[in-house]
Amino acid sequence: MRAKLLAVVTGVGLLLAAVPVWAHHAFAAEFDQSKPIKVRGLVVKWELTNPHSWIHIDVKGPDGKAVTWMIEGASPNNLYRLGLTKESLPAGSDITVEGYQAKDGSTRAVGRNITFADGKKFFLGLTEAESGPAKQ
Amino acid sequence: MSRRPLLSMAALLAVVIALLAAAPANGQTQSSAPKAPAAKAWTPPHTPDGKPNLQGIWTDNTLTPMERPKGLGAKEFYTDEEIAELTKRARTGSVGEEGDLGAARQQAVRYDLELYGFDPSKLRFSPNKRTSLIIGPEGVVPPMLPQARERNAERAAKEKGHEFDSYAHRPLSERCILMNQERIPMTPGANEGNLLQIVQGPGYVTLVHEIDHSTRVIPTDGRPHVPQSMRLWQGDSVGHWEGNTLVVDTTNFTNLTAYRGSSEKLHLIERFTRTADDMMTYQFTVEDPATWAKPWTAEVVWTKSKGPVYEWACHEGNTMISTILNGARVAEQEAAKKAK
Amino acid sequence: MRIWFSASVSALMLTIAGLSLAAMFASGQSAAYRAPRTPDGKPNLNGIWQALNTADWDLQGHTAAKGPMPALGAVFAIPPGLGVVEGDEIPYLPAAAAKKKENQANWMKLDPEVKCYLPGVPRATYLPYPFQIVQSPENILMAYEYAGGVRTINMGAPTKAPGDSWMGWSNGRWEGETLVVDVTSQNDQTWFDRAGNFHSDALHVVERYTPRSADTLMYEATIEDPKVFSRPWKISMPLYRHVEKNAKILEYKCVEFAEELLYGPLSKKPGN
Repeated sequence: MRAKLLAVVTGVGLLLAAVPVWAHHAFAAEFDQSKPIKVRGLVVKWELTNPHSWIHIDVKGPDGKAVTWMIEGASPNNLYRLGLTKESLPAGSDITVEGYQAKDGSTRAVGRNITFADGKKFFLGLTEAESGPAKQ
Repeated sequence: MSRRPLLSMAALLAVVIALLAAAPANGQTQSSAPKAPAAKAWTPPHTPDGKPNLQGIWTDNTLTPMERPKGLGAKEFYTDEEIAELTKRARTGSVGEEGDLGAARQQAVRYDLELYGFDPSKLRFSPNKRTSLIIGPEGVVPPMLPQARERNAERAAKEKGHEFDSYAHRPLSERCILMNQERIPMTPGANEGNLLQIVQGPGYVTLVHEIDHSTRVIPTDGRPHVPQSMRLWQGDSVGHWEGNTLVVDTTNFTNLTAYRGSSEKLHLIERFTRTADDMMTYQFTVEDPATWAKPWTAEVVWTKSKGPVYEWACHEGNTMISTILNGARVAEQEAAKKAK
Repeated sequence: MRIWFSASVSALMLTIAGLSLAAMFASGQSAAYRAPRTPDGKPNLNGIWQALNTADWDLQGHTAAKGPMPALGAVFAIPPGLGVVEGDEIPYLPAAAAKKKENQANWMKLDPEVKCYLPGVPRATYLPYPFQIVQSPENILMAYEYAGGVRTINMGAPTKAPGDSWMGWSNGRWEGETLVVDVTSQNDQTWFDRAGNFHSDALHVVERYTPRSADTLMYEATIEDPKVFSRPWKISMPLYRHVEKNAKILEYKCVEFAEELLYGPLSKKPGN
């Protein structure tokens, strides 16, 4: 496992060259591509914080108990520019999240794909032309 | 940013470039750095205290790579047709070293950029059609001096195996101390994601990056730098006006700032010239006698962007570093368990 | 006859002087000071300013007290201060008053300033560090030395914030000699001082910056938060200009000073 970590680090490289804003930190050091997750639950809270927004969802485990997952999303600055507001993802929304789990095994993940119960995709940042007007 | 058809924009630029080439620098003093000709074709409006008005919200997003693709030799500019072709390819992700796609390039593991507001149709090459941001016949960063290679290799060797030991071993950007997009010289990315707001008051020009709310308040009263013993992450900047160009001189960097592996002797000269209502040329010269045999200069075109700039606080919401460090500790515990 | 006349004139002049003095004391500023103008005709607030008080320790009146670290002895003891709150009372709602006490008892653990978090408004004004005002017709920028805090005050038609932030959303306007700034949309994470005075995300602050002399401003802030306080309350203090040659706000990236506190426990233990 340690050897794998070192390999990841050399892959990421030293920050000698300018790196785009999206890669402000090593994705691969925080999230584990070998730990994909797919969870469904109700939105508890949508934190519009920087550098990343966080969707808190309560996911019912097999034992019926709810576990809160935190799903990492885009900076709210990008979302505001695309017309999204804090009302765009109300508490109680039934969503399914596909993503990658945090390397430390916590119930945290980076969101890759988010869909509502009715199958509609929740775009955390596509342009209006591609996703239609900003909607719930 | 208004979307003009590439051809008419290119035509407009051709006119501007022709005029720039014809006109000598207006009121500029001689300086050692090669510079773009002053925009004599367009006179900027002035601030109430009579200085060229550079104010507004600017973006520098570009596909133009920092260094010239090998094989282009001394070719500094593309033709309109070449730019159109390259732009088409870049927007479908299939471009080589001619276009720096940044985080939009194919990677094994990355954020799903669709979820992050990435819009391929906004990708563009610099309006000046340069083949690289670095100007001149070579178009690349000069080779590093042996002493700089040694210095950086030594540092890397010391770090090897310790990269996840503690916060002190993590990159400055992961610690929210110095984000890549707030560093100087200001270098662009492919996506419009890093806005800069300029606010001018009497005797000062203020640059505010959206990323990390990084603010440079630059005095233009000709004062000296702070004492040499004072070392700052972003160095110490003093400015003055040369005609319509703001010239900013920065020294006093720390030895950990290490822009492109440079040392504390880094000396940066930036030149800001507004060339149209919605365009500004940002040119910078990097020199460090302990890192490169000679100075090198790059030129970036900024265009106006719709505001406003929002707060982008980094440290307050920094979960990445704790998740990463915790991940490393968990991995160690698991490895220790397996070893037993 | 002459004596009576001059006596009554003197009396009249004294009365006028007395009334003017009374007016001056009532408003807390030099009578009708008119600041020099910027080239676009507005009161000139450009400069580097700093509060000279202990408001950041405690907004209310307080006597000297032992500091949190015995090893630092008197160097970081808590200095005394008269306080900056008008009436010296902060009108907490009952539940909020209890939270304030809890905050104060645990301030080292809870005060966001310890973590190098952005201070919000008005705390940014009276942190014991300078800040710079850069004034243009469209925007007035305030760059704070501490943690590189900054805000741009919109001087055009007021705009709305899309969401909350640490430094809030500022819309400004001129009222005669005074810059009035309306600050909304601050998150609930900042404190007013190191004594645990806090607010919710319903905080609404109205600031007033009034030049009182060539090198001083009078700063007032009215604080309103119906989730925490029973009524609005007000702080006021002078701000002093840095007049030394080449005065500059310097880089104060305090994140690295808070890292051991925040991430120390996540470091690799020696011997592992």
